[in-house]
Amino acid sequence: MSEQAMKPGRRVKALAGRLIPYLLAVVASFVAAGIFIAAMGFDVPKAYATIFFTSFKSPNGFVQTLLKFVPLLLQALAFTVPLAAGKFNIGGEGQLIVGAIGATAVGILFAGLPPVLLLPMVILAGLLFGGLWAAIPAWLLYRFGINEILTTVLMNFISFSLIDYVATAVWRDPAAGHPTTIPIGAGGELPLLISRPPLHSGIILAVAIAAAVYVYTNRTAAGYELVATGANPRASMVYGINVRRMFLLSLILGGTLAGLSGAIEVAGVQHRLIEGLQSNYLPLGLIIGLISRGNSLAVPFVAFFIAVLEVGASAMQRTMMIPVEMVFIVEALVLLFVLLSDVVRSASLWDRRQ
Amino acid sequence: MKGVCKSFGTVVALDDVSLQLNSREIHGLLGGNGAGKTTLMNVLYGLYKPDAGEIYLRGEKIEIHSPRDAIQCGIGMVHQHFLQIDNFTVTQNIVLGTPLKNRPTLNLDQEEERIRELSERFGLEVNPRALIEDLPMGFRQRVEILKALYRGVEILILDEPTTNLIPQEVDSLFQSLRVMVEEGMSVVFITHKLREALGVCDRISVLREGKNVFTLPRDEASEEVLVKGMVGEELDVEKSVLFSSAGLDQAALEVGEKPVLQVEDLQVVGEGGNLAVKGCTFQVREKEIFGIAGVAGNGQRELAESLLGIRPIAGGRVLIDGVNVADVGTRELLEMGVTYIPEDRLQDGFLPAANVAQNLILGYHHQEPYNKGGFLDWPTIFRVARKLISEYDIKTPGPREIAANLSGGNIQRMMLARAFSHPARLLVAHNPTRGLDIPSMEFVYSKLLERKKQGMATLLLADDLDELFLLCDRIGTIYRGEIVGILDRSQFDKYEIGRMMSGIRTRPEGMPAYE
Amino acid sequence: MGQFEVQIVNFARLVMLALVPYVLASQGTMLGGRTGLFNVAQEGIMLVGASVGFLGAYLYDSLFYGLLLAMLVGGLFGLALAYFTTTLKMNQFVIGLALFFFGVGLSTLFYKFVVGVTLQPPLIPTLQNVPIPGLSQIPVLGDIFFTQNWLVYFAVLLSLFLYYLLYQTSFGLELRAVGENPKAADSLGVNVSRMRYGTAIVGGMLMGLAGAYLPMVYTGTFTEGMVQGRGWIAIALTFFGGWSPHLIFLGSLFFAGVEVLALRVQIGGFGIPYQFLLTLPYIATIFVMMFAFRWVRAPAFLGQNYDREKRTLA
Repeated sequence: MSEQAMKPGRRVKALAGRLIPYLLAVVASFVAAGIFIAAMGFDVPKAYATIFFTSFKSPNGFVQTLLKFVPLLLQALAFTVPLAAGKFNIGGEGQLIVGAIGATAVGILFAGLPPVLLLPMVILAGLLFGGLWAAIPAWLLYRFGINEILTTVLMNFISFSLIDYVATAVWRDPAAGHPTTIPIGAGGELPLLISRPPLHSGIILAVAIAAAVYVYTNRTAAGYELVATGANPRASMVYGINVRRMFLLSLILGGTLAGLSGAIEVAGVQHRLIEGLQSNYLPLGLIIGLISRGNSLAVPFVAFFIAVLEVGASAMQRTMMIPVEMVFIVEALVLLFVLLSDVVRSASLWDRRQ
Repeated sequence: MKGVCKSFGTVVALDDVSLQLNSREIHGLLGGNGAGKTTLMNVLYGLYKPDAGEIYLRGEKIEIHSPRDAIQCGIGMVHQHFLQIDNFTVTQNIVLGTPLKNRPTLNLDQEEERIRELSERFGLEVNPRALIEDLPMGFRQRVEILKALYRGVEILILDEPTTNLIPQEVDSLFQSLRVMVEEGMSVVFITHKLREALGVCDRISVLREGKNVFTLPRDEASEEVLVKGMVGEELDVEKSVLFSSAGLDQAALEVGEKPVLQVEDLQVVGEGGNLAVKGCTFQVREKEIFGIAGVAGNGQRELAESLLGIRPIAGGRVLIDGVNVADVGTRELLEMGVTYIPEDRLQDGFLPAANVAQNLILGYHHQEPYNKGGFLDWPTIFRVARKLISEYDIKTPGPREIAANLSGGNIQRMMLARAFSHPARLLVAHNPTRGLDIPSMEFVYSKLLERKKQGMATLLLADDLDELFLLCDRIGTIYRGEIVGILDRSQFDKYEIGRMMSGIRTRPEGMPAYE
Repeated sequence: MGQFEVQIVNFARLVMLALVPYVLASQGTMLGGRTGLFNVAQEGIMLVGASVGFLGAYLYDSLFYGLLLAMLVGGLFGLALAYFTTTLKMNQFVIGLALFFFGVGLSTLFYKFVVGVTLQPPLIPTLQNVPIPGLSQIPVLGDIFFTQNWLVYFAVLLSLFLYYLLYQTSFGLELRAVGENPKAADSLGVNVSRMRYGTAIVGGMLMGLAGAYLPMVYTGTFTEGMVQGRGWIAIALTFFGGWSPHLIFLGSLFFAGVEVLALRVQIGGFGIPYQFLLTLPYIATIFVMMFAFRWVRAPAFLGQNYDREKRTLA
């Protein structure tokens, strides 16, 4: 009866059993949104074809998807790592911005250095600044017990002012119409994997980080402490885990991951700081993390799926004039239906037992 | 009540149970934990929806869907864990949910008057204006009873009402119950204690594993008959620690010399910032079970937690095998062989969303053989987990099962497996048998005695005096964070300890007794 | 009156004006929280309230309809929160965040569907001042307190009413009991889920109203993200106010004061980069929380669902 009896066949079944609710949730969301889109007088099949296939119709679409995938994956991990310890990091946006500011600052200040020095420095600055930005709410939680949801969110608003200041007052690029800094040194740019359409090597970094997060949470004693803390902080404390330190650590770790996504945006995509580079990665990262239910193995797959939808959404807005927010609503619906499937499942489990 | 059935998930809590309550009687509902006593009464009170069964009141079938219906039918219930709002006054707690006549402000003078009158009539003194959080346990229970009386109930259900009372208070409670019955009420008295049932009840019904066993009038009931009814054939009563002295052989009474735990003038700060433990001094020796008696909330929890490094020590010394451990963290203490069975095992020891194996290594996850150079050795962990599952008879599909899916009793066994599966020098056990069914209680007692014989020192903090009298070599009584007195096994006397539990120091040598 | 006095009166008037969204949103939060239901979707509900409030006023040419529509949508959000958490027992924070996303997304979506993308956004008139006869004639005080739009009066009266309701009625006693110990309340016949549904819906309506206030008083139009964290600040404010209506009102004065101050200093110049002044409300919030979390006692069951038959921790 134990897990030894888990024959490959049963494993597949078990996996299918876990995937089916997801598929149903996706279908249900698209049906619900489809009714709405149809009611607004748009062509639903065409809209959905655009959403799903833009990523796969051209190399450009696919690279666009991968470029979206990187920050989404990192943002999602920035949310799920603290979530494993039971803490909500809603500050990934601010941590991304501040990470990007740090990366840009280093990239501009040391513009003359060769790539072998400057690139690691830019990336490290992103990690460090993101981590520091998250360390403020983490410390407030550690020291004063202030709810991290609030402080991480408020730190986002502060970061908006900060990036505006840096992009308009410190290193402003006078030629740009939008608040933007001058470019970083060429040595700080991430090398390209493919040059046309350009795909930077940050994707390798992101995937490696995702793998490391998986190993950390599932295979190490330190990761066990993180997960135990999330499962029941009180019990974990009683059994010798320094719970408050785990909270602190997990939030800072989340911040560094978000900061990294900022650094990659700067070093890989923009090569400068542009106000608004955070896009709507924060809510999407949260949605990805919650849809994956914090399972770090599932996060990359969900992140890719969302990246496909996002690229499709922009194409849909361009060609059909359906606002991109429509897809955002679909994504939120997927989340809601996935959460609902939990309730349904536990209810049916209940019935079967009785 | 006729043919009541109720299941929770896979667990059948009640299986075709019937109960007849006569007017003007105190009806004992006797059985071990998990026998279904509380579940049955929660059904009657409308808290649980039964899967099947009918309820009749004075021959008429009634439907009870919520506590509101129950109250309207004249049924009141005093829960084991008081359902009170800490930062409300006594009066506010009592009148909550009753219709107050239209009035511009929340002036409760009339209600207060009625409460005073009720408490006088039934001998349940309490200040109606006091805040609940300022009241000691005994008074809080009175509030709970007054809540029912205020609503003019005719049937009063009391769930393990003596848990938090000292023996003297138990006597006075029984007197109040008699007054109620004389005034025409009927009382259901839930208990797992034979002597209480025999002491106060007119008739006694015994439940076991969710089934009726029998109902007897008191004069036909005897301890032997009731024990048989409670435990059934599963347990050999003759060899039981719980029901016969035969379980305690000579070896179990031997005590070592060498002190393992020395507590000197220990001070610990409690939740509110005040000292919860104020200068405790005692020793626990090898092969000794040292009991701490006291009404819940007198510093036991803080004492236990400070010994495990969960709560910082504000003053004094704690020595384990002669080493001062005042500044040693929980993790190191666990490595030193200190084991803890917390009182609230669900809150303080259980990871609901984690699997069984993850639960079994909590606290030991950084030690060999589970941890190899920072990485967890899952094959070993699962092997150990499977061994423990069979050894401790935990009913689960396997170590990968999510722990929250286990039944309450099996969760408790999982916690015990963790506590007893690691070598221990000192065990700190806080109400270790709370919530356990009779076979599990028996199991805990035999494990405690087995470890004792092997040399382990045990600090047993328990609210249940019977448990302490059964197991302990010495008992210290704690009152408001101070050890009021320490008695040897030969001096055990429940009224004496009861006095100490209410803060009256034991008489010095040679002095005459108070009475 | 001298120049300085005029400045002070103006400042006070603006504070009273800025007070409204804070009061409405945090009293709404407080109501739910007092029954144990912790709403964290304020920002989203306020955004959607701002959007539909604006659109309603624009389409029907009536601010009143706009406010009504905003309350309706806010109430629906509250209903959704109550349904998912109280009936389906789903995690309050997760559902709150999901509703926040819906609010953010829907607010822009509605606007784009109705208005489309235009260079010149349509405008609605702002709320008129309604001087109170007699009282508005009092020097200084009349200007500050009695020559305002009627939502300012509503916010003040609402706070007074909630104080009375919570502490001086038996309904208030039951409401507070549900947040402190739902099982105790339930065992005495108080309907816990009805109470939670009620406060969630009313709370949502207040938040919707708070959102709609913004285009009707400040901008005359809807812009993306125009709530600018006021919803999140309202949560902090609710903690700061110790979950009591009267203290929340006082706390709102403080936050409204900070907001107006930041704006004034910005206009006045003083050489401080305006970006730093913009951060003032958020930094003030964080500072306030450092103290609030120490002495404030939140409802004991805040954020926890109640299941009558639940036996084990899950």
